[in-house]
Amino acid sequence: MIDDILELIRENVVQGRITQEDEGMEEGMEGQPGVTELTEKALALGINIHDIINKGLTAGMELVGQKFDAKEYFIPDMLASGQAVGAAMEILEPHLAKSGIKTKGKIVVATVKGDLHDIGKNIVSILLRGAGYKVIDIGNDIDTQTIVDAIRTEKPQFLGLSALLTSTMMTMANTIQALDKAGLRDKVKVIVGGAPVSEEFAKSIGADGYGADGFGAVRIVKSLASDEDK
Amino acid sequence: MLVIGENINASNKSVAEAIANRDREFLEGLARAQAEAGADFIDVNTGAGQGSVEDEIASMEWLVEIIQAATDKPLAIDSDVPHIIEAALRKYRGERLIINSVTAEPERLASIGTLAAEHQAWLVALAMGAEGIPKSVEQRLAACEQIMTYLSRLGMEAGQVLFDPLVLPISVDSSQGLVTLKTIEQIKSRYPAARTVMGLSNISYGLPNRKVINRAFLVMAAHAGLDAAILDPLDAKAMSFVKAADMLTGKDPFCKGYIRAYRKGAIVD
Repeated sequence: MIDDILELIRENVVQGRITQEDEGMEEGMEGQPGVTELTEKALALGINIHDIINKGLTAGMELVGQKFDAKEYFIPDMLASGQAVGAAMEILEPHLAKSGIKTKGKIVVATVKGDLHDIGKNIVSILLRGAGYKVIDIGNDIDTQTIVDAIRTEKPQFLGLSALLTSTMMTMANTIQALDKAGLRDKVKVIVGGAPVSEEFAKSIGADGYGADGFGAVRIVKSLASDEDK
Repeated sequence: MLVIGENINASNKSVAEAIANRDREFLEGLARAQAEAGADFIDVNTGAGQGSVEDEIASMEWLVEIIQAATDKPLAIDSDVPHIIEAALRKYRGERLIINSVTAEPERLASIGTLAAEHQAWLVALAMGAEGIPKSVEQRLAACEQIMTYLSRLGMEAGQVLFDPLVLPISVDSSQGLVTLKTIEQIKSRYPAARTVMGLSNISYGLPNRKVINRAFLVMAAHAGLDAAILDPLDAKAMSFVKAADMLTGKDPFCKGYIRAYRKGAIVD
């Protein structure tokens, strides 16, 4: 019974179905319970919250990532799945606090100063939330000092920087230098991404990691996370 | 519908290399092919800020010279850097010119708007201010309002302005197709003498078989009042849809343009 419910949660995350009215990626799924109804049901049955998250939601999202990487899924597919997981996490949040389960790491994300592109950053935020991280999105066109201040006050384990222009890419380097000066560089892992950014560029500016796309960002965060934040 | 041929754009790798190597033959060929395929304007883009401004100025001067030698079609100067636009203006000998583009930001309107006013150019005006692309129709129209007010003070007429309603990917937000279409309708009703223009390909970002989406959107935008499209004129199917859309929106009396194109073999099924 428990395994059935968790299996259904996984399936419906893959189908990107939030409620029972939603269509799936496949035909004829309308009317069957979606991720939110299934999550409520799992709670009512007393299923361990940790299992709901890991064996249901996150496992489903990992399948979505595989489908995206295989080019079977497209951007709207992964956004629908990400939102389904986000809706389920909202239901679980009050219970999480009560049960004393530690959440995964915290990540501050921003598009750097001079750059107004927010689509990539928003996708990364949705997917990281889907993977169970706490994401604080401080917006686009954010100056370096504001980012440094956010690291100081929020104390996240990760900082994700986005830039879509060749002209603003270097601002990511300045941000890392500013963190260094503020004595915060060793407190936070910095990952960078955006169309003109590459692995080599990330290395050259002293970032800790590079995400080629939304799921790449999730992978790199996971690989850099200390054991307690995984 | 006016077609602005987008192919001479340095964000395309082969074009960037040809510009860097001063490969005259390749770029002249690209200009001529677009003109022959029915482009009304040839867009000229020399880079996305990778090299120095000096390099880009030299590239722009050179490109404008060689393209004019290859075709009589007017040019659309694709830059938001005043020095690079000035470089193109120095070398340009044609009558009509499009400067692409300006936003509602006052310092851009002051520099680029003044250049357009002085040279009596047409000016592409993006429906956005300093905060990036607005998500709603109302905010985009507010940006258009600011732009038109400013340009009027510089002595420009609405007829010199091409408003770009802006396009965000439908893959990220299902409402964005209609936001763009409604923005076009509203611009046309508020500024009947102004034109509207947009690049089509952004709408289909992140989805498979993008050309299908681009073509469907072109036809819908034509109905909403789109006057000019930035596209690849060497895409014969896209150009066929342009002709069909003109005809279906009453801009092609007795369907003559469509039939003429058909006889030339330019209407592709």
